[in-house]
Amino acid sequence: VAKMSAPTMEERKACWGARDEFWQCLDRHADDASKCEKLRRSFESRCPQQWVKYFDKRRDFLKYKKKLETEGYHPPEADGKS
Amino acid sequence: RRRAELRALALGQGDFQLRDQEGRPRRKADFRGQWVLLYFGFTHCPDVCPEELGKLSHAVELLEREPGLPPVQPLFITVDPERDDAAAMGRYLRDFHPRLLGLTGTPEEVRAAGSAYRVYASAGPRDEDGDYIVDHTILIYLLGPDGLFLDCYGRSKSAQDIARSVRRHMDTYEPLPD
Repeated sequence: VAKMSAPTMEERKACWGARDEFWQCLDRHADDASKCEKLRRSFESRCPQQWVKYFDKRRDFLKYKKKLETEGYHPPEADGKS
Repeated sequence: RRRAELRALALGQGDFQLRDQEGRPRRKADFRGQWVLLYFGFTHCPDVCPEELGKLSHAVELLEREPGLPPVQPLFITVDPERDDAAAMGRYLRDFHPRLLGLTGTPEEVRAAGSAYRVYASAGPRDEDGDYIVDHTILIYLLGPDGLFLDCYGRSKSAQDIARSVRRHMDTYEPLPD
C-alpha cells in the first residue's frame, strides 16, 4: 500500500481556511449546521478525513471550555437547563 | 532552583541513534557543544506541529539576530516512524527554519529517543485510507552544550518567551567540570 503524503503547507492552510469559514458560519448561526452545509462540504473536501474528525472534536472542546468560563461549572444534578 | 528541579528529572539521558532527512546517521553525542531546541511531532499533524515548529523556527531566528550568541540547532524528531521516513521529513521541513534537522529511524530507535524525554506518543485508530493521528506530548525542549536537558516550553510560551529564556540560560550557563 503506497503511503499517503502528508499535506503540504499550502494544503494545510487551505484546510484551516475552510475550517475557519465553516466555524465562522456556525458562530453566526448559533451552531445550526444546516445553515452551513456548503461550507461544511468545502471543509470536508479540503481536509483529510482524520483532520475533519479532529477539528470537530476540537470545536466541541472549545465550546465546552467557553461555556465553563462564562457560565461556570454546573454539576449534572444541579443543571436543569440543558 | 528550577535548574536543580529539572536536573533531578534527568531527562534526555542516554544516547539516541537516528537518521536525518538526508539519510545521514545522527546520534545525540553529535550535538554536544551545541545548544539545541528539540520538538517531537509528526508530519500528518493537523495543526499543533506546524504551529510549534513555526514558533521554534521563529525563536531560533530571534536569537540569530542577537550578535555574539552561539547558534541554536533546531531539531525535530518524529513520533510516527511508520510514515515519516527521510523523504517525508525532507518535504515537511522545507516550510520551516533552513537549519531545522528532522530525525527518524526504526520504531524501536524512535521509541527509545522519545522515552528518554518522557515523550508520550499514541497512534489513534486508522480510517479506511490508513490515515491516523498520533496523540503526543507537546513540548519544546532546550538542551545545553553538555547534552543535558535545561528547560522546556509548552503551547502557551511564545517565540519571544522561548528566545528570552534561551538567552538567559546562555548567560548563566556553566559547563560541567570534565
